[in-house]
Amino acid sequence: MKPGIGTLAILGVAVVTAAVIGVMSGIILRAHQGALVDQLKRSADQLSETIASSTYHDMLENRRDAVHREIVTIGHQQGIEKVRLFNATGTVMFSSDEAEIGRAVDKNAEACYACHAAGRPLQRLPIHARARIYRAADGHRVLGMIRPIHNERSCWSAGCHAHTREESVLGVLDVNLSMAAADRQIAHDQRQLVLLAVLAIAASSVLLWGLSRQLILRPVAALIASTRRVAQGDLSTSVPATARHELGDLARAFNDMTRRLNEAQRQLAQADKLASVGRLAAGVAHEINNPLTGVLTYASYLERRAAADPETQADLGVIVRETKRCREIVRGLLDFARQTPPKRQPTDLNEVVRRAAAVVANQLALAHVGIGLELERELAPVPADANQIQQVMVNLLLNAADAIAGGETPTGGSIRVRSSSVDVPPRGNVTIRAAACPKGCDLLDPSVRLAGVPTIRVLRRAGEREVLVHLDPVYGRANHRAAEPCEEGVIASYLCPVCRTRLEAAERRCAECGAPLFGVQVARLGVVEWCSRKGCQGTRWEAVEARGPQPYAQLEVEDDGRGITEEEMDRLFEPFFTTKGTRGTGLGLAVTWGIVEGHGGSITVESQPGRGSRFVVRLPFRVPETAPEAADPGQAPAPGRVPMPDARGGAAPRPAPAGDAGGRA
Amino acid sequence: MTRACDVFVVDDERVVGDAIALVLRPEGLQVESAPDAESALAHPALAACRLVLCDLMLPGKSGLDAVRAIRALRPGLPIVVITGYPTPAQEDLARAAGATAFLPKPFDDSELLTLVRRVLASTDAAEEERKP
Repeated sequence: MKPGIGTLAILGVAVVTAAVIGVMSGIILRAHQGALVDQLKRSADQLSETIASSTYHDMLENRRDAVHREIVTIGHQQGIEKVRLFNATGTVMFSSDEAEIGRAVDKNAEACYACHAAGRPLQRLPIHARARIYRAADGHRVLGMIRPIHNERSCWSAGCHAHTREESVLGVLDVNLSMAAADRQIAHDQRQLVLLAVLAIAASSVLLWGLSRQLILRPVAALIASTRRVAQGDLSTSVPATARHELGDLARAFNDMTRRLNEAQRQLAQADKLASVGRLAAGVAHEINNPLTGVLTYASYLERRAAADPETQADLGVIVRETKRCREIVRGLLDFARQTPPKRQPTDLNEVVRRAAAVVANQLALAHVGIGLELERELAPVPADANQIQQVMVNLLLNAADAIAGGETPTGGSIRVRSSSVDVPPRGNVTIRAAACPKGCDLLDPSVRLAGVPTIRVLRRAGEREVLVHLDPVYGRANHRAAEPCEEGVIASYLCPVCRTRLEAAERRCAECGAPLFGVQVARLGVVEWCSRKGCQGTRWEAVEARGPQPYAQLEVEDDGRGITEEEMDRLFEPFFTTKGTRGTGLGLAVTWGIVEGHGGSITVESQPGRGSRFVVRLPFRVPETAPEAADPGQAPAPGRVPMPDARGGAAPRPAPAGDAGGRA
Repeated sequence: MTRACDVFVVDDERVVGDAIALVLRPEGLQVESAPDAESALAHPALAACRLVLCDLMLPGKSGLDAVRAIRALRPGLPIVVITGYPTPAQEDLARAAGATAFLPKPFDDSELLTLVRRVLASTDAAEEERKP
């Protein structure tokens, strides 16, 4: 088995600790030893000083016995190896080792060399030069200290006339101290230091083992296990990401990655499903429409001819009606499969509304639904795809008719269609379709959408907590989403979730509460800023505010039908969602939404259940810069843009302002 | 005046031709049909008919090619394209190829009758005008 991170770290630290402690111990021991020897040298010097001064008078008066006694007495004290005195010629005059007396010492011997090097005696030597260390016969160390006894007036003038005035050194006192005790102390210190070093290495290894297990090995093992699960295709996995250090960041990044992968996979599956529906619809439409032509033509022909037999005629009427229903289903599928970027031409929306009303006139009349048009005179042309907008209006009108006539007891009702031009202020209307941090990281998050539009993700840091927040992409609307709530009034700081750059700009303050503003960059349109105080609605987008309100053409379709419930509202624009049971394909409003989005416009719904609904479509008079332009007309039919369910699991894009309203295709 | 053929149908689905004939014959219109472009162009009725109903998806030569070929043979003849894949792009292409009108399948008898009467009436009117 390969050694793990923990083992390698422990080994590394043990080696480093051992080396550091070893070097330190060496230095300490050496210093300690030096200090002990120095102390011993000073003791020896002091002792030789004491002997010299205590024998001084005996020497002057030439009392050799007394000198001998003193030297022997001192020389036999504990820790003193030997005390002796040479004369100037090197003969031992006095010694605690009496056997030595009278022997001559070689001046070139080690003890004498310090002074007698170069053949002439030196007169004054420092303490270190006078000391020597040697081993005694039994192996223990001995410190020797010599002290030259210099000639002075009292010496050569003494009555004994033993010394002449010309002599400079009269003799040398040699004191030898045993170093056994000091050496024992040094050995003891050495053992103690080694023991401490071993303990330190062991303790640091245990600590490191525990720390690496807790801080590294366990999180890494969890990450490895999760990575394997991801590799096996399980994208719902996540790892605990409580740690504050880098592995915690790694775990969070991992969780973020798997969440996004999961989201991307889900969207891919959804897109794939839609693309399949598209291909299937195109194929089925052609194949099924031929037999349907036979059924419908024969049945309607026979129905017309059976006037004499009302019962048969009614039965044939059922065939005709149901075949026409099949036809509508196939057409719905085709419309859905065929959404393409709009081919914009200056379009008279009033004319489009009239055509749409004419298309549905028969159906409305049959359902006892009246229609009233209130069209603005001289409505300026709008750059739009007339066919697509007609489809939008037909869908909305049929939906309204169904909302009126779809009830158990249809009593009729009315639809009002209005056209007008409105100036729409940026606030609450302009959608942020690009967002980046100051370092350029993309902050748009297509995996979490509001009303089908990608949100902007930022990291909110309040105190110790960091939470991902999805900002409402509609400027001035504050329908933000956060993984967990934040206390009202708290001023949080906001970071780029990718590179963690602070999003607050220096000196930028909220006009409403004075708290710092944080912002994201929008390509070609400057910076959008929000107040960093929770609960404050302050926001600013100078580039867009500077453009002022933008002119839009507005088409309203209002009915007095059954309305839309809160629950239905959530899924209203989702493909395949229908409130009409078998009578709907669930594609009408999805197609409608895709077309309006494709024009850079907006569609909103207000509804009161039981009272009716109002759909409002707004199309810009000026083609928005970021709106998708008309594609190659020869392009193959492709499934168009559809609102994706948001990350919270299938809830549909919710148009704003969310109220409630009628049935849908 | 009853001709040998009034309405000529080009469709590979036999039931479509039959259904059209079923609806139009009681109106005194003679219907002939061909299953593909090649046999349609070779059909003697094509030279005599007053109206062509042509499918867009045909085996072999496409419906659009058929429309162009018929248009080349008889410039003034009204051609109605009938298709089971009715998209605006298809309609644009069909009109560019020379189609007079566009009728999505499936249609019922009255839709067919209305269109055929309208197209024939306008050609008749045009012919009337051209007469000295």
